[in-house]
Order: sequence, then C-alpha cells, then structure tokens
Amino acid sequence: MKLGVLLVDDEPLIRSGLRAIINAEPDLTVIAEAENGAAVTPLARRLRPDVVLMDVRMPVVDGIEATRRLIANLDDPPRVLVLTTFENDDYVLDALRAGAQGFLLKRATPDEVIRAIRLLAAGDSLLFPAAIRELAARHAPAEAPAGGLDHAGLTDREADILRLIAQGLTNAEIAAQLTVSPETVKTHVAHVLTKLGARDRTQAVIRAYQTGFITPS
Amino acid sequence: MTWRRYAYLVIGAALVAPYVTLAGFVWQALEGGVGAAATWAVAIAVCCVALPIATGMLAPVRALEIAAARLLLNVEVGDAETAGGDASWPTRWRSAAWFVAHLVVGGVIGTLTVVLPPAVIAACLAPFASGEVQLGQLDPTIPGGPGSAWIVPLALLSPVALVYLAAGASALMARAAPRLLGPSPAERLAALERQAVRLAERNRLARELHDSVGHALGIVTVQAGAAGRVLDSDPGFARQALTDIETSAREGLRDLDHVLGLLRDEAPSRAPTPTLADLHRLVGSTRSAGIDLTAELTGPIDEVPQAVSREAYRIVQESLTNAARRAGRSPVSLTLNVGAEDLELELTNPLDASQPQGGGGGRGLNGIKERVISLRGQISAGPEAGRWRIAVRLPLHPRP
Repeated sequence: MKLGVLLVDDEPLIRSGLRAIINAEPDLTVIAEAENGAAVTPLARRLRPDVVLMDVRMPVVDGIEATRRLIANLDDPPRVLVLTTFENDDYVLDALRAGAQGFLLKRATPDEVIRAIRLLAAGDSLLFPAAIRELAARHAPAEAPAGGLDHAGLTDREADILRLIAQGLTNAEIAAQLTVSPETVKTHVAHVLTKLGARDRTQAVIRAYQTGFITPS
Repeated sequence: MTWRRYAYLVIGAALVAPYVTLAGFVWQALEGGVGAAATWAVAIAVCCVALPIATGMLAPVRALEIAAARLLLNVEVGDAETAGGDASWPTRWRSAAWFVAHLVVGGVIGTLTVVLPPAVIAACLAPFASGEVQLGQLDPTIPGGPGSAWIVPLALLSPVALVYLAAGASALMARAAPRLLGPSPAERLAALERQAVRLAERNRLARELHDSVGHALGIVTVQAGAAGRVLDSDPGFARQALTDIETSAREGLRDLDHVLGLLRDEAPSRAPTPTLADLHRLVGSTRSAGIDLTAELTGPIDEVPQAVSREAYRIVQESLTNAARRAGRSPVSLTLNVGAEDLELELTNPLDASQPQGGGGGRGLNGIKERVISLRGQISAGPEAGRWRIAVRLPLHPRP
C-alpha cells in the first residue's frame, strides 16, 4: 500500500517537479493535483490522501485557508505539509496554527522532501524541530505571559515530555530517555495533547513556544 | 545628574555675559548725555532682548542647545530632520524662546551662585563684628553685634534654597525641552510620512523579489532536483526539465535586473525619480533591448502633476517589463494621452501562445494595480482581440 500524496501549488512546474520526485519512490505516489486551495477538501474527501503538500501563497484560496477548511470539514483529515519559498515567511506560522503539521522549503533536496513526507505520514515525531524553533523564536511574544501553560494543568512528567517532543524525539526515543515503556509515553503524549487542546505534536509545540512555556533560545 | 543640570544652567549664565557686557558699553556711551531716556531703553532692549532672540534662531545654536539639553538635562529631544534645509519659522521662534529662557534662568542662578557665598560668610560673621556689615557685594548692610544673630540661620539656609531653586528651574526646563527644541507636530508628521513611504517602498521591493526571483529559483530548484532523480528512469522528463529550468532562470534574471534597477533608482543619492519627461529614454532603451515597440504620446505631457507623472512613468515601465516577459520580441504598442482631466495609457502585446495563462496576467500587474489605486485611477487588464491589453486611466487632479 503506497502513501498517497495530494499536490497543491499554483505553479505547474513546481507540481511536475515534485510529482517526479515523489513518484520515483516505490512507496509514494501522487494521487491528485490542484492549482489552488479551493478543490483540496473535496479531493481529499474523495481520494483520502495520506499527506497534502500545500503551497502557502496561491490565488483564490491560499494554503492557510485550505488547511483550515480541510481540518474543519474532514473527520480524519490528511496531514498537511506546507510548502514555502522562504523560511521567514510570516504565513508559515499561520499555516501551522491553522493545522499544518510541518513546513518544507522549496529549496529542500529531493531526499528531504521524501523524508518529510514519510515522517509526516508516520506521525510520531515533530517535523524539523529546529526550523519550528527558529520560526517560534522570530514570533515569540515579547513578554511571555506568566505561567501561560500552568493553567493547562500539565504534570511535571507531562511537561518533561512536551519539552522532548519539541526537540523532535519520537515516542520510542522519549521512552528510552525517561526509562519508561513506550506505552506509558503514548498515554502521556495523549494527555498533553488533550490538556493543550492540540490536535498533534506540531500544534502542542507551537502553543508551548507561544505561551512561553518553552523558550526558543 | 543634578550637577549636570546645574552645569547646564551655569552655561546659560556664561552665554548671557556678552549681552550684558554689550548693554553696559551702550549704557556708558549714552550716559554721556546724548539722547533721551527712550533711546536708552531702545538700545538696552536691542542688546538684551532682540540680539538673544536673533542668536537663538540660528540653526547651529539650535543644534548646540539640542545636544546640550540631551547631554546635560538628560531629556529625549526628537530629531526634527531639518539638517538639510532651513527650519521653519515656528521652529525658529521656539528655539529662540528656549535660548532666551536658558539665558534668563541661567543668568539668575549663575549670579546667585557667585553672589551668595561671600554674603553668607559675611552674615555668619556679623554677630561678632562691630559697625555696619556689608553682605558680600550686596548693597544692604546690617548692624554688627549679637543683635544680628537672627541672620545666621537665614544665611545658612539660603544655599539650600538656591540648590532647590536650581533643581526646580532645571526640572521645568527639562519638561519644556521637547516642546521647544523637538520637532513640531508638522515636522513629526512629515518625518512619519517619509518613513511610511520608505517602508512601503521596501515592502514593495521585498514582495517583488519574493514573487519574481524567489518564484523562479523555486522552480529551478525543484525541477533540477527532480531531473537528477529521474535522469535514468525518465530521460524525457529530465530533458523537458532542463528547458523549463533555462526559461525560469532567464526570467528570474530579468526580474532581478528590474528589481536591482528599482533599488538603484531609489538609492539615497536622491537622484530625481523619473517622470513622463523621461519616457522617450525608456522607449529608446526598450527598443534597443530588441523589443519592437510603437509609442504614441499625445497631449501636454510636461504639464502632468509631478506625483501623477512619476507614477505613470513607473506604470509604463512595469507594463513594458511585463510585456517583455510575456511576449519577448513580438510587437508592443503603447499609447499615452494627456487630456484635460485624465491621463490615459494603453499597452497591448500579443498573447503568449506557448503559455496560455487564462486571466493570470503577470506578477508585475499587482504593483501596477497598487499604483493605480493609490492615485484613485482605473485599470483594466486582460486578453482582448487576440492581444493582451492593459488600460489605465489616472485623474490629473485629486477629486474630493
């Protein structure tokens, strides 16, 4: 069973390049393409892709709005990987807040593209933790609201796990580091996500940075 | 800090000296019996009022006072940004008022500083003296002897009072400094507007780089990565990718050239921004770049208001860049007519057959639209009768 990818970019040459890179892999396949965000939700509902590769800036419906619609309208939405030309694009953070799990620069090498899609589909670790940390550092609140996450009622153990998630560790790696079973970690992670009202690791880490619970320095 | 403020006041005392000296000379000259009392009054007024005011209006004096106020009074005084040109008259009057206040307050505090110590010493010794005691250089005398003991605490308190007086006066001046030495509301507004224009221009250039060069390099990177990946399995794709890479890179270079040109135009050298008067040169350089351009310019182009003329030039420039990007060497036609109320310009070029772009319209079009909207003009752009047509109408005079 191959991982299905939906490509969304207004530039046909970007789409054809990514398609060639993805289809050259034995375990990945591009199942559909769209030239802006308008068609994303219906396509995803019909074709059930595992991952959506989504450009941020597009005419008609941009990548942020398309991500928002996807998350809002599908029960089990695909994972969204946002494509951007520049790292310091303000829209990237908006897209992550809207529910995208990670972002990928268009200057990424084919290997990085492939690795990102596979990582995202597996879904058990944060994509490019360093890049997200930098992004959060640029947009960090000037003054962290005191104890922003204290109210979320995380236990000490859960707080530790949130910090390790932010470093990009998988459940297995976290389990090894804390010398507990992977099952325990899985439970803790689920609790962290619930308490933070986060859909996934990306959302949880962004909230942790935004509220000053973790300082990006 | 208090001592610095005190030093500032003492400087005022030093500055007042020349005027007082001059007034003294005039007084002596006139005391010889020439002229009536009115003449004296005029002469003294000139020395002690008109001259300081005139001095305070000088730009270097203003700059010195601003520097001294920042350093010694420790106050924030905003920059008026009038370094290049002359300050406005209200600004000059404000700095003159400040200068006079500095002289008066400084003069009073400075004089007291000099006069008080000997007077205090004399007063403290008065109870032990016999006969009339003069208080330093001050005129009133008091009788010596134990009967004058009451003056001792008074004399000892007076330096404290002077310190408080100086502190109070300098605090008042520190509070008034931003109003009298800082930029006027009009100057602040002008500075803010200049900054807003600079920022908007920078944002526009950043967006232009992002949209054009970033776009092209994104395509080049992805296509080249893909071509390398499938070189053996799909040589056809790789060959096509090379062609696309070449085209994108060439377009990116041309866009970069354009943006760099804008950056050079807007270099701080403040070279005059081109206007419609420079249009002939633009037409010439476009033709020498190999583009078949027919241009028809009618109406009193030189009479177009500067702001409209500058923007119109830019619109033509960006339209031509777009046309060159879309149509290469195919014929481009430009008409520009200046009427009584409006400026109309139209640019057409053949649709690019190899890239059917529907209603896309080129990335430079956004920039053109922004310029047109900022001038409350109208714009239409799109395919028409087999050619790409962009038509712009700009009002020559602002309408309410």
